[in-house]
Amino acid sequence: MTELRIGFIPLSDAAVLIAAAELGFAEREGLSIQLEKEASWATMRDKLAFGVIDAAHLLAPLAIASSLGLGPTPSARLTVPFALHLNGNAITLSMRLWEELAQPEDADPAAIAGALAEVVKRRSRAGAAPLTLATVFPYSTHTFLLRHFLQPAGIDLDRDIRLTVVPPPYTAEALKIGAIDGFCVGSPWNNVAVASGTGRIVAIGPELVPDAPDKVIAWPEGRLDEVAAGRLIRALKLSGEWCASPANHPELASLLAEPRHIGVEAAILMNTLRGRLPVRLGGPVKATEAYLRFGGEVHRPSMEQARWTYREMVAAGQIADAPETERAALAVYRPDLFDRAVAEDRWSPG
Amino acid sequence: MPEPSLTVAIVDPNPARAVILEEGLRGSGVQQVVVIPDTADLLRRLVEVDPDVVVIDLESPSRDLLEQLFQVSRLVERPVAMFVDQSDAAMMQAAVDAGISAYVVDGLKSDRVKSIIDVAILRFNAFARLQRELHEAKNELADRKIIERAKGLLMRAKNLSEEEAYGLLRRKAMNEKRKLVEIARALVTSAELLG
Repeated sequence: MTELRIGFIPLSDAAVLIAAAELGFAEREGLSIQLEKEASWATMRDKLAFGVIDAAHLLAPLAIASSLGLGPTPSARLTVPFALHLNGNAITLSMRLWEELAQPEDADPAAIAGALAEVVKRRSRAGAAPLTLATVFPYSTHTFLLRHFLQPAGIDLDRDIRLTVVPPPYTAEALKIGAIDGFCVGSPWNNVAVASGTGRIVAIGPELVPDAPDKVIAWPEGRLDEVAAGRLIRALKLSGEWCASPANHPELASLLAEPRHIGVEAAILMNTLRGRLPVRLGGPVKATEAYLRFGGEVHRPSMEQARWTYREMVAAGQIADAPETERAALAVYRPDLFDRAVAEDRWSPG
Repeated sequence: MPEPSLTVAIVDPNPARAVILEEGLRGSGVQQVVVIPDTADLLRRLVEVDPDVVVIDLESPSRDLLEQLFQVSRLVERPVAMFVDQSDAAMMQAAVDAGISAYVVDGLKSDRVKSIIDVAILRFNAFARLQRELHEAKNELADRKIIERAKGLLMRAKNLSEEEAYGLLRRKAMNEKRKLVEIARALVTSAELLG
């Protein structure tokens, strides 16, 4: 039995990892996964680099940033052999700001961003403090989604907005106490803010970028040998298929609801797994099966996913576009490891 | 030439540990040590204090916020790196093991920062040891109470002396290759269940 310590942040998109560790998929591959709940992405990155954990549930842009030596820590080149999901994020504004926007319930993200641009201008003319929006980490899909939301309305995230960082489990609370006016975060934290009556979901991820890559599994280059890598990838893939099946969602929701995992009511988690999101307390429901996608090709860490993330990092001004930088960024993604592991799958034909 | 004075900020949700670290840093000659609680007000306080070195609990959820501040904010003009000498892998490993992360502005003399991090590692480890000892002492006390209760139960039920009761518990533990306190706990639990 190979033992692996794997870190995760309490988010629904860690479902495939959590289910792999807890529901026997890892065991079936001869693996024992010890899950470690972490409080911040920076801690996760450092624990990966210093070998406190073997692998991690990680933001794809952070995996690339760390490999390129960006950020304050010594660089560890990471390997991304598995994508945990697609989509799953949303943008939520405080009820106070939502009311100020005076938009109809069925307004689309573009109309809402347009109204938001008016508020931004009004505040600037009045000499008032700019709106404060939160992402979960500078190198994150969430930062990019905020840009996709605001830019068409002419709002510059760097110039017009005060951008701050709030770890996912604290977003609802930060909105409630008025520390921030809105945020982009992964499931279930938008729904938690809605359920507490403090937030209004104004855009869900796939409305802004269809099938946006986000969290991946990462480990320091060479940390897992080929055998362990193959076992982990296959265990995760089995788990991904299981998580994708609606019949399994009630069991998955109660597993994720446990305090040692996410610690949020199973009913809220069930809504996010089903892609049924009430936009505010007692409000209409946004429904799409694409809200949080698991299973099948979703998990292959494709070069398209790597390229999208690289381009978004360039567009956000996080890295300067250069052929050698792009090569180094794309080399983090290892679809070849995924393909080899799947080809060696002794449990399914072929 | 006298060394310019240096400001170290300690961000720690644990006030007792922060005091221990503060005292250690002052003892090693750092004149300006500011303890900032890990709260919603953290950013504003940090900007006010404008530290040269920030020592923060490795597990603090505020680290992501700090890194964003250091990366993009116009509030902090000086570049920041985690630790000063990235070639000193052993020290960084020791810091991570002790549960510390430290952010340091660029251009600080490496031996100066090393001595600060060294003190932080020593003090964090000392604090962890104290806590462990306290925890063990509490457990030991709780164990002793359980054994006392088990002895009392045996003395009453079987009309034994204290010594005989203790001997009985010990023999049972030895025969079953279990700890004495486990036998005692089982006995107390059974007695509670049977009323």
